[in-house]
Amino acid sequence: MVSEIWTEKYRPKKFSEIVGQNDIIKRVKGLVDSFNIPHLLFAGPAGTGKSTLALVVVKELYKEQWQDNYLELNASDERGINIVREKVKNFARTKAIGDIPFKIIFLDEADALTPEAQQALRRTMENYSTTCRFIMSCNYSSKIIDPIQSRCAMFRFKLLEQKDMKTYISRICIGENIKMDEESFETIYEGSEGDCRKATNLLQSTAAISPDITSELISTIISNAKPKDIKIVLDYAVAGDFINAKEKLLDIMLKESISGQDIIKAIQKEIWNLPIEPEVKVKLTEKTGEAEFRIVEGSDPFIQLQALLASFVLAGLGK
Amino acid sequence: MTNSQISWAEKYRPQKFSEILGQNLAIETVKSFINQWGRSKKKALLLHGPPGIGKTTLAHVAAKETNAEIFELNASDLRNKSKLQEVLKPALEQQSLIKSKKIILIDEVDGISAVDRGGTTELLSLMTICPHPIIITANDIWKKKLSSLRKKCELIMLKELDYKIIKDLMIQTLKKENKFIENDILTKISIKAKGDLRAALNDLQAIINCENPNEIIFSERNKETSIFEALKLIFKTMPNENTPRAFDSVNMQLDEIILWMEENIPSEYSGVELEKAYHALSNTDLFKGRIYKKQYWRFMVYENIFLTYGISAAKKEIKQSFSNYKKPERILKIWINNLRIAKKKSIASKYSKLVHVGQKRIMQEWPIIKNIIKSNEAIQKELKLSQEELEYTMK
Repeated sequence: MVSEIWTEKYRPKKFSEIVGQNDIIKRVKGLVDSFNIPHLLFAGPAGTGKSTLALVVVKELYKEQWQDNYLELNASDERGINIVREKVKNFARTKAIGDIPFKIIFLDEADALTPEAQQALRRTMENYSTTCRFIMSCNYSSKIIDPIQSRCAMFRFKLLEQKDMKTYISRICIGENIKMDEESFETIYEGSEGDCRKATNLLQSTAAISPDITSELISTIISNAKPKDIKIVLDYAVAGDFINAKEKLLDIMLKESISGQDIIKAIQKEIWNLPIEPEVKVKLTEKTGEAEFRIVEGSDPFIQLQALLASFVLAGLGK
Repeated sequence: MTNSQISWAEKYRPQKFSEILGQNLAIETVKSFINQWGRSKKKALLLHGPPGIGKTTLAHVAAKETNAEIFELNASDLRNKSKLQEVLKPALEQQSLIKSKKIILIDEVDGISAVDRGGTTELLSLMTICPHPIIITANDIWKKKLSSLRKKCELIMLKELDYKIIKDLMIQTLKKENKFIENDILTKISIKAKGDLRAALNDLQAIINCENPNEIIFSERNKETSIFEALKLIFKTMPNENTPRAFDSVNMQLDEIILWMEENIPSEYSGVELEKAYHALSNTDLFKGRIYKKQYWRFMVYENIFLTYGISAAKKEIKQSFSNYKKPERILKIWINNLRIAKKKSIASKYSKLVHVGQKRIMQEWPIIKNIIKSNEAIQKELKLSQEELEYTMK
C-alpha cells in the first residue's frame, strides 16, 4: 500500500532517485554492490536523506526480503539502553533470511543516547557483529563517542542545495498535479531551511488547504506553525516582569512541545522587533548566541533560557 | 536510677517558659495558640525545626503553664491507622480526672515511615474531631507525606540556638553540677553542636570525667539540614567559606536542588542581581552537561561552587525581608502537561511509525502535521486513529 503521506509516497526508493549528496551515494552504492557493508554512521542536518539512504541500502541489499532483515529504532523515543539492547538481541538472535549473512539495524537519532548508553551499545555492536550491521544516524557526530565512531564508516551529509530541493519538489508537483510558481518554491525553500522533509510537509499542508498554491498562502502556514507567543515572553522580560516571562515561556515550551533550540531560534529573530536601541540588539544577540551554545553544551535548556531572559530584563532597564 | 545516670539534657529540661532560651517568638505563638484555641481555624500547632532545640520541651512547658494534662504519643504509636485509632481515640474521649484541660502531643511526626499507611490520613481526620489542642513536632515538615498535614496546621519554626546561648546554658549546668571545664573547650563544644542544645549537653556530660577532655574527639554530629536552611544560607548571608558546603548536609539530589534554586531565585533577586544569579545557575547547568557528556566527575566541584557561592555572590547586600521559599513547580507542570497532550502524543507515535521519524520531532512539527492528517481521510485510515484521536485532530 502506498502511503498518502507525501514524505513516504515520494521517498526515493533507489540510489538514482536520491537528490544531492552525490559523493556519499557513490561510495555507499559501491559498498552495497559488494554485498558487504561495515557499520555506517550518517551525520548531518535533518531532512537531508539519512533515513532515506538507510532504507535504500536495505532495499537494494535484500530486495523483497528487506523487511525480514531490517529493524528500525529511534533513539530519541527509546532512550533507555535496555530497551534498545533487548530489541537488538531479539532481532539479532535469528539468522538473516536470504543470501546476505547479516541483518541491518538502523538506529535513528543515535546522538540522543547518553554516553553510558552508547558505551553499552558498543558492546552490543561487538557481540553481534557477525549477524548484525548497524546504520546509525545523528545530527552531530561530536555527540557520538569515539569508540563507536571508530567502528563505523562515517558519511557527512550536507544541507540540500536549492536546485536539488527543486528537483525533488517538482517531482511531487507533477505526481500530485500541482501548479506552483517560482516565488512559491522559494518561499517553501526558505521556510524549510534546507530540510527536505519539512519542505514536503509544508507543500502537502498548503495543498490541503487550496490546490492553488501561492507564496502568500505558504507564508501564512509557516507563520502559523511557528511559536507565536515568544514576542509576549520578550515583552514581559523587557518590561521587567521576569516572573511572568518565565511562566509564559514554560507554558509555550510544554504546550507546543518546542525544544529549547527552537525557542532560541525564535528569540533570535524576535530581537529585531523589540523597541530597543541598535546597540542593545547587538548585545542581546550576543547573549542569545551564548545561550544557544550553552543549551548545546549544558543539560537543561529551560535554565539557560531563564538566564537569557534575565539578560533581557536587564536590557529593558537600560543597564 | 542515680542522678549521674540521667542525661543532663533530661535532668535540666526547662519547666517554665522563662527557662526556654532563644525561642521567644515561638513561645508567644504557642501561648496565643492555646488561648485562642477553638476560636481559630487551625486546630493543631506544628512545631518544626532541627533536633535538640526544644520542640518537645516547649510543648511540655506549654501544658504545665496552662495547667493542662499532656497526653503524649510518639512516632511508634502512630504505626498505622488501626493502631492510631486504638491509642488515640480513647484518649480523646476520656475525661481527665484531675485537670480539665488536655493537650495532645504528637512527637516526631515525620518519623511516621512510608510503610505506615494511613497514619497521616488518620491523624488528619482525628484532628478535625479532637476537642483538645494538638501540638505536633517534626524535624522536616517539607516531606511529601506531610504536605496535607502542613496545610491544616499552624506552623511554628524553631530556630537553631545560637552557640552563645548554648555555651551559657552549659556554664549554668556545670555550676549546678559543681563541675568545671575550660572555657575553650566549652566554646568548641557549643560551636560544634550546630544549634543542637541536647547534643551539646550530651557531649559535655561525656567528657566531664575525662582527664584530658581536650583530646577527646567528639563524633561529628553530621546533621541533616533542610533545604530551607541551605537556601537561607545562600540568599540571606554574604558568601563565606561555609557557603560552598551549603548543600552538603541536605538530603536531596543535586538535580532537585538546582530546581529549588531556579524556583526561588526570582523572588530573592531582581535586576543586575537576578542576571548574575542566573548566570551562576547557567554555569552550574553547563558543568552538569559536561559531566554528563564526558563522564568527568571532577567537574562537580565547579557545578557546586556556581550553585552555592556563585548564586550567593550575586547580591550586593542582604535583603532582610522574610522569604517563603517555594517548592519547585516545574516537574509538576511537566507532569500535568503530559496528561494534557496525551492524545497528541499517541497520534504522533502512530504517525512516526509510518514515516521513519522520531515521535518527538513529529510533536515539534505538530501544527503542520495536524493540517496534513486533518485534510486527508486516507491518511486518517492509514494511521488507524481512534474516534477520540480523530476528534482531537479535527478540533
